[in-house]
Amino acid sequence: MIVRELLLAIWVSLKTSGLAALIASLLAVPAALFLAGTDFRGKRTVLLINQTWMAAPTVVIGLLFYALLGRSGPLGRFGLLYTQTAMTIGQVFLILPLIIGFSYTALRQVDRRARLTALTLGASPRQAGWVVLREAKFALLVAVLAGFARAISEVGIAMMLGGNIRNATRNITTAIALETAKGEFSNGVALGAILLVITLGINVLVQVGLRSKE
Amino acid sequence: MLNGLRYTYPGSSSPFCLELDSLRIGAGDMLALVGPNGAGKTTLLLILGLLVRPSQGILAFFGEDPWGSDDRILRARREAVLLTHHPYLFKGTVYENVAFGLKVRRIPEAEWPDRIGQALSLVELSGVENKSAAGLSAGQTQRVALARALALRPRVLLLDEPTANIEARLALRVEAIVHEICHESGTTVVFSTHNFSQASRLGDEILYLSDGRRVPFSHENCFSGTAQTDGQRSWIEPRPGSRIVFKGTQKGHVTCVINPEDIRLFSADDPAAGQGPNVFPGHVTRLEMTEADKALVRISGGLTFRVTVPLPELEAHAVSLSRPVLIKFEPEAVGLIGPASDSPENTND
Repeated sequence: MIVRELLLAIWVSLKTSGLAALIASLLAVPAALFLAGTDFRGKRTVLLINQTWMAAPTVVIGLLFYALLGRSGPLGRFGLLYTQTAMTIGQVFLILPLIIGFSYTALRQVDRRARLTALTLGASPRQAGWVVLREAKFALLVAVLAGFARAISEVGIAMMLGGNIRNATRNITTAIALETAKGEFSNGVALGAILLVITLGINVLVQVGLRSKE
Repeated sequence: MLNGLRYTYPGSSSPFCLELDSLRIGAGDMLALVGPNGAGKTTLLLILGLLVRPSQGILAFFGEDPWGSDDRILRARREAVLLTHHPYLFKGTVYENVAFGLKVRRIPEAEWPDRIGQALSLVELSGVENKSAAGLSAGQTQRVALARALALRPRVLLLDEPTANIEARLALRVEAIVHEICHESGTTVVFSTHNFSQASRLGDEILYLSDGRRVPFSHENCFSGTAQTDGQRSWIEPRPGSRIVFKGTQKGHVTCVINPEDIRLFSADDPAAGQGPNVFPGHVTRLEMTEADKALVRISGGLTFRVTVPLPELEAHAVSLSRPVLIKFEPEAVGLIGPASDSPENTND
């Protein structure tokens, strides 16, 4: 595997997973804020579905979007199958419940008086929501980083929706799968090490965040 | 002003309900809310702070219905600040905490240092601006929260047991500050307390709540003690052998209040007094005409009670000074204040 191909695979991994983590966070954190701050009928069911969705295998999500994005699927006309966009969409749906679940727990742990205090000091409901988010910022950061780590390390969705196309949708995990299938175990191990270094970087970020929290 | 107020916790199976026929708090007044835990003091403060909406009834805030629109409620809420019983300080420094209300009100940043400095100086916490809020003691937290409210110069200040977590010297200082801002700045103050003497000392008016309802308030016949219970009724013994029984299963330090009009007077040998709870022997030590047809009688025995007696009844029992008598009241007639964090004074002499 030449260096250019390797760098491109790393770039595809970082780009699709980073974008997926960003989009999923923008959807998941407000959803978690709503769930944590509102009591409504069916809330337990919503949480149960979210928890179940968290355990969904990546290949099942890959298969679902394969059926949706494939040429004969309802979204086939957009021609997204085997693109980085398709990989990102799949990963968003993979990590969305994870970030919702972690964020929900983080926001539930924020003292309930925080919102009340903000409101009585003159904050609008939106400003009070920001206060609650700010009080949980490090725990929310952990949620987002966990989502990113899950996206960058998965292989099922990247393989099924990206197709492992050289210099286009091949990322680190699909490259590992390919190198292993070819019998190039040393390349596979090296790529695995690179993935671990990236994961280590994420964990260091989390630790730094937690230390600041203390 | 509140009219026909009713509040029940939404979605809660709790039978608690706050009901007030009418309550008018004049601008610049200081109202004390007194009552046992669960009486509805905090709920009423949340309603007055426009943080919860009454289930029923009319609330007029400076003559306007504040719940008319989102804009109106935000504007009205910015006129009132509630200092909760256990105040919450946001993560960050003391300065950032006190600045919060100024920031959301978009008060020019140039004014912040002066207002924050003045507010912290009032609560004797000058120089702690850059300290982390997380490292403060409970008493300091309470005072920073008070400074955070004072920095906003609100028209209405709502205080939920403002001196509960601080030492006696600082409690007096907080009382003085509250008194000062009420009488000099014209701020309307509503505060809740278990401290009977604090309520009498500070409040222009006292609203006594019990079980979500206003109950008649009396300075007479107040007795303090540690409540004990047999699971059906509770009692205190302000003096050995003198047991005041009341309904409920209250524990801890309480003050019992018995309205002089709820006490009945009997001759010492009158079998109608019976043997039930709350029958006390004593001698008439003072007789005072209060209204055209009523007298206030002081009965001294193991405990001293004041009883309002209609004149015909006084004559029927031939009550006169030094005469031995019996008094009796029902456990349901005993109002409660407490459990208290600091002992209310027994105003009985």
